[in-house]
Amino acid sequence: MSEKKAPFFVGYMGVPKALKSFLLKVSLLLFAGFTAGAVLAGASQDDPGQAGFRFDYGRQTLTGVLEANPYPLLYVTQGNDRVKAGHTMMLSGQGKTPIMANLAALEGNEVEISGVILKRGELDMLQVAGGKKGIKDLSKEGTIPASEPLGKWKLQGEICDGKCLAGAMNPGRGLAHKACANLCLLADIPPVFVSSQPVEGKEFLLVADPDGGPFPREMYNYVGQFLELETEIERRGDLLVLRIDPDKIKAIE
Amino acid sequence: MNEAQALFFAFQIWCSIGAIIALIFLTIGIDRIDEDAQGAYVFRILLVPAILLIWPLVLWRWFILETKRDAWPNRHSPPRHAHFWVAIIFALAIPSIIVMGLVVRQTWPVNFEPQKLSLLEVQIQ
Repeated sequence: MSEKKAPFFVGYMGVPKALKSFLLKVSLLLFAGFTAGAVLAGASQDDPGQAGFRFDYGRQTLTGVLEANPYPLLYVTQGNDRVKAGHTMMLSGQGKTPIMANLAALEGNEVEISGVILKRGELDMLQVAGGKKGIKDLSKEGTIPASEPLGKWKLQGEICDGKCLAGAMNPGRGLAHKACANLCLLADIPPVFVSSQPVEGKEFLLVADPDGGPFPREMYNYVGQFLELETEIERRGDLLVLRIDPDKIKAIE
Repeated sequence: MNEAQALFFAFQIWCSIGAIIALIFLTIGIDRIDEDAQGAYVFRILLVPAILLIWPLVLWRWFILETKRDAWPNRHSPPRHAHFWVAIIFALAIPSIIVMGLVVRQTWPVNFEPQKLSLLEVQIQ
């Protein structure tokens, strides 16, 4: 075919006869290729499970004793239908906004805290409302429950940021989520270790450093990877806290 | 220093150099190579984020324009001529990266049971 008579496809005009068959084949091939790609990509991903903000619960107001170290925790003394007294509730700010500065001065005090719950199975967290609506100091000294040492354990699992894992994002874990998780951790959001199987009945453990302080920044590189670690575990209220040892941690295959 | 800290440190160094170049380019250079920019200042702040990231390209273009080596009709020839090979490389690289990612992906240790070591230590003693 001479160059002068070669058919030329223009999107807003009719398809030249000579190109109809070619166009049909290419269209079918692309459709099949992209469909197969989408199915394969989807099938290779793990099910993120059921988790999210529980806006359907409405705003939750809890009274309890505040602990700010290693991360903001509320030992609930007066709960409600959703959250019972005796529960240890992890706290976070709005989005990736730190709240530690607002809470540190209230350590050991009884406070009334209000916000929205995030929930994934037995893991929950309260996103504290902004301003004075969120935290009310009851000006009364409370009692922080004594921690109960549970010994040294060998675990396998993954360190995530507790907020995204609890449902702020889906999926809120894995390598693809690592940068988001580390930004959350920089904003005082409690890091959570997801164990391969329950430890003393708990699948999710709060992560602290060997001295019980916040998760060390030099270990952020381990977030989002599947790890094996040897660690001391303690119980605070109904929450397990894992004291991570930088020398006893490695990525698994 | 682990990989994440090294990457972040390198990023900080890169952006610090970019900040110095942005300061020099936006106060001295831009007036020398673009007469339309002379007397206009507010828009220069908008250029800072990009200069932080692509400062080598800024330096290169500044050098070309300053030394009058710019042949504007040919400016886009190199990228246009590279399109064919770039398309081939991308067509190979993107599936390869996806496949490699799937191959090196870790497996969730679903069968690993937590072990209480302090109890084992007591039993060994």
